[in-house]
Amino acid sequence: MKRKQFIKNAALTAAGSMVVPYILPSGRLFAASGTRRANHVVVCVFGGGVRNLESVGKAEGNLMRNMLNGTESISSDIAPGVTVLPTLAPTPLQNIGTLYKKFQYASGPTGHYNAHAALMTGVYSDQSIQLKQPPPFPTIFEYYRKHNSPTNNALNAWWVSNSLGPYPFLNYSMYDGYGATYGANMIQPYSFFTQYPSLANPVSFTSAEKAKCDMMRDFANGQFKIPTQAASSGMVNSPADAEKLQTFLNRIMNDIVTGAIPEDPWGVGSSMNGDMRNIYFGMEVLKEFKPELMVINMTDIDIGHFDYTKYVNAIGLADYALYKLWNTIQTDATLANDTVLIVVPEHGRNELPNTVVDAYGRKALDHNNDQMSREVFCLLAGKGIRQGNVINTVKGETIDIVPTVADILGFRTDISSALLSGQVLNDALI
Amino acid sequence: MKTVKLFRGGLMVFLLAIVLLYSGCNTKTIEDRYIYEVQTKEIYQSASQKQTLKTTTQFVSIAYSDLFNSSITNDKLNSLDIAYQSLGDKKIIEDMIIKTFLEQASSLVPSNTVMRNDIPTFVQNTYLRFYNRKPNEFEAWKVKDMIEKNADITPKMIYYTLMTSDEYRYY
Repeated sequence: MKRKQFIKNAALTAAGSMVVPYILPSGRLFAASGTRRANHVVVCVFGGGVRNLESVGKAEGNLMRNMLNGTESISSDIAPGVTVLPTLAPTPLQNIGTLYKKFQYASGPTGHYNAHAALMTGVYSDQSIQLKQPPPFPTIFEYYRKHNSPTNNALNAWWVSNSLGPYPFLNYSMYDGYGATYGANMIQPYSFFTQYPSLANPVSFTSAEKAKCDMMRDFANGQFKIPTQAASSGMVNSPADAEKLQTFLNRIMNDIVTGAIPEDPWGVGSSMNGDMRNIYFGMEVLKEFKPELMVINMTDIDIGHFDYTKYVNAIGLADYALYKLWNTIQTDATLANDTVLIVVPEHGRNELPNTVVDAYGRKALDHNNDQMSREVFCLLAGKGIRQGNVINTVKGETIDIVPTVADILGFRTDISSALLSGQVLNDALI
Repeated sequence: MKTVKLFRGGLMVFLLAIVLLYSGCNTKTIEDRYIYEVQTKEIYQSASQKQTLKTTTQFVSIAYSDLFNSSITNDKLNSLDIAYQSLGDKKIIEDMIIKTFLEQASSLVPSNTVMRNDIPTFVQNTYLRFYNRKPNEFEAWKVKDMIEKNADITPKMIYYTLMTSDEYRYY
């Protein structure tokens, strides 16, 4: 009897000692073990492939006046093809943040998807990635959701993509122990909202009717066992969050129909491009859900394959959109002073041009793994980031973004060191 | 006369034997493969036979034909396919698609009166329509019971429920 009691007590003590540390006074389970530097991170993939020569190198003038110091004028031969929008920033972001001028996408093919995947998983892939399936290694979203409290739901993690194709697959991986359960909400806003005629006038149920539908669905689902060998049906929100998200989507669609969201919400006329629209809708997501983690990208700069002057123009427009994003963060009571913004192109472009000549006699640029296509910049700004800090030496890689975000949000040490080879960008952190 | 009667009797027995033999030989086939007459669908014997997740195209086009008894146009299918790809949570976009379909005037949703006039038939037809199988005894009783006990449950609500259930995503 004594022996039995001893075993029982020992088992209870062991179980208690394992569980209790993870149940915090707030009721949160599995709290991240580190200290948070900020409660929100927005990563903007300043994408489409940007050469340092045209960005921080200012070879055609300062195209990014909201991010970089300087008033260097646009090269006169291409100036007629470049729209210079008003500079919005009272002081360029580099003055209130840290700028890495020689950041690297050091390994793997300089393809957009590969480079996005490296940036969002923290792992370079030297082999071609399957385009129609999730990446092999966990994404930053899965690390975030798995190594934080369950209260950090999918509405707290967003992947706002400017493109379809393989990009929607970057919201979770196929990695054992991670995957769709910890995936992010993904939206390609422009494609989604332009389909609103096909999704217009949905039937609406009262809350009492919804409750009855839920009751009947619970019964129906209870009669069906989801086949274990069937393909994953992907990430899902909790029913309550799904309701919030659907309300948000319907509201945006309605605003588009009624004109409350106009075609040109920023009053920039024909300059309003896909990147700007993506940032605009990303801002709506930020305002609505105030997520702790968002990755958003721009891709229009990739016009550089076919038209150099339009590539230069797109860099300036992306800079304008980026500042709109920053301003949204700074004017939101929850996000202001509690958010870190990280801006980084996924890769650069070749040193040598291709043969396509634009209207101004300039040759276009591809990205085929040469050294210049691996060189990018990286700018961090916001809470806990060193200000006015410029790093001119070769330092930092795109695979460092995942460990850095993990460090800022306090869960870096919860991730197995075998999974991430990148380093925290400590030079940028106070 | 007697010969004729005997012949007729023998013929009847012979024909009956052939019919029984034929149906006996085909019993298994009939049990495994019912044909649903409205849309020539293969009918499952149970939900457990469904093992494969529908693709986007399958989900949208099947939902459309289930509700409108006609094929979806390519334009509409493409549009909904783009919307489907553009959102990470597939359950939400499926929910939105079904809700939009159900609100269209041409969707074939029976009236509340028709449902309540013959609930067992409604339940059986609804299961055949969306799940391609008959409800088992428990399902037939339970759904009938829910409809009877909840005067506010409408056919549209039941259609919405089944079309957004887990089973509807598989074949």
